[in-house]
Amino acid sequence: MSTCIHCDEDINVPIYSSEDTNHINPFCCNGCLTVFNILHLKGLDQYYQIKNNSGIFKRRSPVESKTQKFTYMDSPEFISEFSYQNLNSETTIEFYLEGIHCLACLWLIEKLPEYLEDVHISRLDMNRSVVTISLNTGGKFSNIARELNNLGYKPHPLKANQTSSSLKTQEERKMLLKIGVAGAGAGNIMLYAISIYAGAEGSYAKIFNALTVIFAMPVLFYSAIPFYQNAWNAIRNKTVSIDIPISIALLMGAFFGIFNLITGVTENYFDSLTALVFLLLLSRYFLGKIQQNGLSASDLNFFYEGDSVQKKVGETFVEMHPRYLASNDIIKISLNQMIPADGVILEGATLINNSLLTGESIPENSGPGDKVYSGTLNLGQEILIRLEKSPDESRLGKILKQVESGWITKSSIVDLTNRISKYFVAAVFILASALFLYFYSQGKIAEGIERAFTLLIVTCPCALALATPLTMTRTLSRAAKLGIIIKNNEVIEKLSKLKTVFLDKTGTVTYGNLKVIDMKSLCASSLPLPEIIISLENKSTHPAAVALREFAQKSGAQKVHDVANYREVMGKGVSGNIGSQFFEIRNGKIFEDKNIIAKYSLEDQVRPDSKKAVNELQNRGLDVVMISGDQKKIVDEIAGELGLKGENIFSAVSPEEKLAMIANNPRALMIGDGANDAMALSKAFVSVAVLGSLDISLRAADVYLSTPGISNVSKLVDISRETMIIIHRNLTLSLVYNILSVYAAFTGLISPLVAAVIMPLSSLTVLFSTIIGTKKLNRLLKVHVNNQKEQKWKS
Amino acid sequence: MEVITILIPIAILLALAFIVGFIWMTVKGQYDDLETPAMRILLEETDNTIKKEKK
Repeated sequence: MSTCIHCDEDINVPIYSSEDTNHINPFCCNGCLTVFNILHLKGLDQYYQIKNNSGIFKRRSPVESKTQKFTYMDSPEFISEFSYQNLNSETTIEFYLEGIHCLACLWLIEKLPEYLEDVHISRLDMNRSVVTISLNTGGKFSNIARELNNLGYKPHPLKANQTSSSLKTQEERKMLLKIGVAGAGAGNIMLYAISIYAGAEGSYAKIFNALTVIFAMPVLFYSAIPFYQNAWNAIRNKTVSIDIPISIALLMGAFFGIFNLITGVTENYFDSLTALVFLLLLSRYFLGKIQQNGLSASDLNFFYEGDSVQKKVGETFVEMHPRYLASNDIIKISLNQMIPADGVILEGATLINNSLLTGESIPENSGPGDKVYSGTLNLGQEILIRLEKSPDESRLGKILKQVESGWITKSSIVDLTNRISKYFVAAVFILASALFLYFYSQGKIAEGIERAFTLLIVTCPCALALATPLTMTRTLSRAAKLGIIIKNNEVIEKLSKLKTVFLDKTGTVTYGNLKVIDMKSLCASSLPLPEIIISLENKSTHPAAVALREFAQKSGAQKVHDVANYREVMGKGVSGNIGSQFFEIRNGKIFEDKNIIAKYSLEDQVRPDSKKAVNELQNRGLDVVMISGDQKKIVDEIAGELGLKGENIFSAVSPEEKLAMIANNPRALMIGDGANDAMALSKAFVSVAVLGSLDISLRAADVYLSTPGISNVSKLVDISRETMIIIHRNLTLSLVYNILSVYAAFTGLISPLVAAVIMPLSSLTVLFSTIIGTKKLNRLLKVHVNNQKEQKWKS
Repeated sequence: MEVITILIPIAILLALAFIVGFIWMTVKGQYDDLETPAMRILLEETDNTIKKEKK
């Protein structure tokens, strides 16, 4: 089996460009071929060279087959909402791009100004997959978006105005400054502290001591500000936060340090306190960083899709994005356009496809006075609609809002860690107070203070607070690099508890569009078969017609003939005269003058990697179930091909039934792509949207696979299981450590100084445990490199 | 041990110099994007060749 030159996907039926007569460069689909041709035309063939040389960075090239006009990006509403003036007062916009993966993408995108007049400067941030583009005078955003889309990088405008984006950068820089100062302070203090530990005496000890105090001040009173702020907020909201004991330890440490300096005692805890500040800030910074990365939920907020519609203003029509429509607007909907909001048809009779909302695949006849709903598709003539609701208030808009409101959930294990930390904090306070009071009642105030302080320092729950977020962060960022975009931490924990996997059929395990798989010519015809097909099917928009046209083009149809008496019966077929002959195409048969001349069958092909993916999931002890809205016969066949058994196949399932099935299954993973999956995806225990999913499913799902097919799902499950092993290991480690250290502090086995040394050690242990991971996890997160090697050998 | 009276100020000055350098770089935005420039540098060479070919 060969692989596609462009996207590296395995190919069943390769296609070749018309120039490529020797069939050297195989492609899997027209989308890839189109992108290849665009690059070739622009003289950018070097893309493939760079791609193939980028070794481990090499990843599948993106393909976006859906063409969009993006004309709405030129409307003043859009420009004022999404663009801003950069420092050179050029109009600038940020796009989140899907499919950014390697060096070649960077090359291609930063070269935009060379082949697109509209662009002045184009800068890509690979980490966030965000490109910042400034316009030349007279340039249009729609041209840029179209170009990016054609190249396979689907653009999503980010609602960034100068203030908010620069605010974020400012914030990040401030955080970096704090970390840097803390690191420098901690490092320098270590230098002098070691001298004191090593036994510096007299004036040297005093000078060193003074120096540690000086270096500690910016750390404690500048870098540590976030802790004080959080602690103060927690106190004001009457909650407990781990920042409270940290703040108290820091302030107490500062007080004792300065007090000791004045009284001439060469002893302080600044070495461990500053190290603590540094490590905590660092881990929080990385955690924040990963949460901003890629398709995080908050970024998705700004995404919206949909082409512009024609709005009637006076007697003319104006291009406008559905987002800016209001009720009572009159809009024109043409063939194959999605209706953006609920309304009533004013003019025109047409067929409306409701499958998105109801799952029904048979279109409905609609005429003036009939109601139409958002998210439905116009399959017939142009119609005029008077809107009764704005897009937001429409049915689809409401589903979307429901989906969005379900996002803001916190990971339960992170939550658990936080809860444990809170109890922990409370317990430590009570113990420390009790300890102090006990010694106070005995009249040993100094010893009481010392023991309580030791306890506070040694039990700082940072090992606890650090371990889980760090492990999650590491897994999330590595997974994102493999093309598995996980929206929240929660998913990892849930995936490790999985029992059942529900698979959608169309577009998930299959390619999602019909293809002619078998064309048998039964007897000679007056015209070449491909020409008959392409002539008759030329006008139809039925998916079968599209498949037949594609087939005819591929098999070299030369000429499109005029068809007289053309008739299309919806759902049945087409017929008409070419010259004197009467042709018919219906139900998998082609007729010439009522004589059958050819037979064909259409099928939505199963992706080559689907069966393996299903097997792998089953090998992990998971129950794989197919759940599809399609007819029983088709679903059974495809499920059979994947090796699924009868009781695990559900066909003709409506979106509501899907939802009910998923909701009744407490540990189910739902994998889907379509709008009829969206509700199930949003309510599922865990949900995965595959590449090419509809906007709404993308929003609903917890995980988004940016690689084609479902082959990454089993890897995702493995990664989650291994990550949970590390998390549990870390929690155990830090709990054991804390119990031992509390005991030691309580009984006075250790002094504050020893406590200050042990405390960072415990954090380091956990950090180390996180970084070394497990053998299996490391292999999983690296597995890509091996894949590439295998592919190279194959080719 | 007298030498330490010279070494310590030097050490402190060095530390301060690095901190100032770090602050300067951060404020200038050198740390805003750590990934892309590292890759961009690899492209410089290919960039030139393509321009030559075009000429």
